[in-house]
Amino acid sequence: MNEKFKIIGKRQPKVDAWERVSGKAKYASDIYLPGMLYARILRSPYPHAKVVKIDLEKAKALPGVKAILTFKDMPSFRWHADMPILTDIARFEGDDIAVVAAVDEERAREAIELIKVDYEVLPFVLDPEDAMKPEAPKIHPQGNIIGGTPLLLERGDIEKGFKEADLVYENSYRTSLLQHVTSEPRVCVADWRGGKLTVWDSLQYTFGPQPGLAKALNIPMSKVRVISEFMGGGFGDKSTAERYNVLAALLSKKVGLPVKIEFDREENFLATHHRYPTVFYFKYGVKKDGTLTSIYAKVIADMGAYAHFAGAGGCMETIKSVYRCPNVKVEGYSIYTNKPEGGFMRCVGHPMPQFAQEVHMDVMAEKLGMDPVDFRLRNYARLEDGDQDRKFPFTSNGMEECIKKGAEAIGWKQRWQKSNSSPGPVKKGLGMAIHACRHGSMTEPSSGMVRINADGTVNVLTGTADIGGGQKGTMAMIAAEELGVPLDAVSITSADTEVTTDTGGTNGSRQTMTGGNGIRLAAADAKKQLLEIAAKELKTSQDNLEIRDGKVYPLNSDQGISLEDLLKKAPATIVGRGIGRIPQGKIIHTFAAHFAEVEIDIRSGKVKVVKLVAAHDVGRAINLMALENQIAGGAIQGMGFGLMEDQILDRNSGVCVNPNLVDYKLFTIKDIPEILPIVIESNDPYGPFGAKGVGEPPYSVPAPAITNAIYNAIGVRFNRIPITSRLVLEGLKGLKA
Amino acid sequence: MSEKRKETKEQKEKRGGPIKVSRRDFLKGMGTTAIAATITPLPSASQAEAAVPSGVKEAVIQLNVNAKAYRLKVKSHWTLLDVLRKELGLTGAKKFCDRGSCGACTVIMEGKAVYACSRLAIEADNKKIVTIEGLTDGEKLHPIQEVFVKHDGFQCGFCTSGQIMSVKALLDINPRPSVAEMKEALSGNICRCSAYPKILESAMAASQKG
Repeated sequence: MNEKFKIIGKRQPKVDAWERVSGKAKYASDIYLPGMLYARILRSPYPHAKVVKIDLEKAKALPGVKAILTFKDMPSFRWHADMPILTDIARFEGDDIAVVAAVDEERAREAIELIKVDYEVLPFVLDPEDAMKPEAPKIHPQGNIIGGTPLLLERGDIEKGFKEADLVYENSYRTSLLQHVTSEPRVCVADWRGGKLTVWDSLQYTFGPQPGLAKALNIPMSKVRVISEFMGGGFGDKSTAERYNVLAALLSKKVGLPVKIEFDREENFLATHHRYPTVFYFKYGVKKDGTLTSIYAKVIADMGAYAHFAGAGGCMETIKSVYRCPNVKVEGYSIYTNKPEGGFMRCVGHPMPQFAQEVHMDVMAEKLGMDPVDFRLRNYARLEDGDQDRKFPFTSNGMEECIKKGAEAIGWKQRWQKSNSSPGPVKKGLGMAIHACRHGSMTEPSSGMVRINADGTVNVLTGTADIGGGQKGTMAMIAAEELGVPLDAVSITSADTEVTTDTGGTNGSRQTMTGGNGIRLAAADAKKQLLEIAAKELKTSQDNLEIRDGKVYPLNSDQGISLEDLLKKAPATIVGRGIGRIPQGKIIHTFAAHFAEVEIDIRSGKVKVVKLVAAHDVGRAINLMALENQIAGGAIQGMGFGLMEDQILDRNSGVCVNPNLVDYKLFTIKDIPEILPIVIESNDPYGPFGAKGVGEPPYSVPAPAITNAIYNAIGVRFNRIPITSRLVLEGLKGLKA
Repeated sequence: MSEKRKETKEQKEKRGGPIKVSRRDFLKGMGTTAIAATITPLPSASQAEAAVPSGVKEAVIQLNVNAKAYRLKVKSHWTLLDVLRKELGLTGAKKFCDRGSCGACTVIMEGKAVYACSRLAIEADNKKIVTIEGLTDGEKLHPIQEVFVKHDGFQCGFCTSGQIMSVKALLDINPRPSVAEMKEALSGNICRCSAYPKILESAMAASQKG
């Protein structure tokens, strides 16, 4: 916490806490409009099949059914590059075939049952490496390798690097298919009336659906209003506009009534985005003194049936950037399979390679006889290293402090011992991992608006959706600090396309820097207008004035004028506007180091995480309490990635066997360890008051830290996650054999 | 401490079994009953013009929610959660899994925390139910809600109603629980944001307040 700030860095309850704890907040799923219809999507029961015939007669005849749409009724454009809105070729179990709108949910469900579809079942492929073979079933006509050829990143000469190395280590790693399990499922209420569409949706990016909906309905964007003031969890799944948005809108327009589409939990498992499974082949070279000389990696990203983006690209980033290394070659294959759609999930692209890379590094440290902490300290990318391809330095870099403070907090020097050295059936171990990435940086668009009312109070208008990270409060605190008014003088309106400005999605941990810079600049703009008036009134220059506690004072004076009095002289309402721009020739990254302490009962294979130290360079803490909450929450999800979460598809049928909360395991309050967040403030010159974002990086570090701690406890290396009790027992058996 | 309520003759006749009550008769009846009945103006499936699917039975039940009595016609397979949300407009209890495995729909029925998604509305007939909306006194938050605000015991807030109701159900019978007892009471409430450390901190602070 910094003394020069009045509001920034304090522990502040969320500004919309009253709504959220009272049950009064209206999430999109809580919207019930008069006459509203309920829509339900008919989903393919097969992972790969062609629709030969659809018979709608019986469903249409069911009383209460108001509309049914199939692929024949869809606008001709594709939703994402490769995705029809409704399809006649199902490419995964759960693909969207038809949609029904009826007077209630039961009628919609019954109508779905009454639609008779004749499918021609097609051969399917689930394994990405099988899908790459020429004889594999083609999921899209262009073939299963997205983009046709692999992505390639190369700097230096890896062969030269391997020649210089004293140790070359190779291994492969795998991660599983994960679902976000947002507590509020995907849900949309679309209300078409009088040529205008209003949509309530549970979104991270409120402005996201606006262009697509305008296009699909052939109306201007000004006639599409999207509201997402309260939403129940995103974690990436709600980053982009999706097919259900446009289905609800088309149905509402067709029948002239509001239409709600709400996924049930099973649908949410089957037919939303997923963390895509990955396969990595690594070959790293290192000198005896611990200096990395060469990195070769092959990345295979299993993107499922549709791809918003080539997922391998995201996985390649941390491989080339976390460590300083002159010779790097990374090949990235993004592959279609008949799995659910791969998409954005918290710290998209990074937790998987970081699991692989940090385990790989841990093995190399051991082979070199080096302490894993020292090995990281020797190789992490420094401030001046930055983007090692473009030779841009980082804007700030708190990695060294993250590693050192984290190590100190867990007692690494005193307590870290060689592997498998604790006696008895319950083995103890320590492990660590680091992470650095662009998540938490700034991207465009960055914008904001601040309006000063006649009584000196402030309305902040931001497109930023508050997805639970306290983003509204962050914006309010930034505006209050900049304007010199108390926090309770600030009201915030967010995530409504009609009254706010587009400041991009609440994803990529970007809103603190991106929305925050927009708001800070908007507040500064409003402040400048206030001080212009004040300078005239007080017959002094603007430079000689400051605003404190809602009053304008000449510097070093106690004789101030309240904003309310000052605003009587304002010709009209003061509106401040801000547009943030990303820095040129520099690169913004966030940095983290985690340290895990585990206990493993070798009789049951149960892994218990006892303690997790999570050190994060956040630039500057805006709201310390919300920040700790984010770090812990992200870290707990990251532990689930390492130890529990796995959406399993039956290899014989391609059908998901655990699309529910009983069989897809999540952490409960009883499973959590002691979590110690450590906040490192590197004061980024481009962040609002020095702040960077932190929503996602905490997810990327626990899995490898825990995997390394497990090795430290029992002497078994795992190169795939989740590490279930069964896997631990199998590993222990292998050790004995 | 369940309140034994005397059923009127009319109620006795109407409970259970398939009954044929037109909506108009039903609403007419509302005016003459001695119960301080409230019907929300929300649209609902019961207003749907379509015929009831075959095999579905209807019943008139009385729910005592947040100290208010509601008489309403429900279908026999409707869950308490759907009736609270759609018929009564009490949307604080959330539908997260709808299969009794997440706790976001937790309400207190006859002094016990229950999953509203896993109770039929007809099972709740004549039962005393408290939802999150019943905790506030006008605008004023309940002390448990206040500590959740103070300690940041939530992120997106979607599971929060359920968390708070589970805490309340425990504290009502055990005002000074241990951390282990509190964890046990909250183990059926999933928070996907994983705000668990701050939820626990809030819950324990609530217990010390009493």
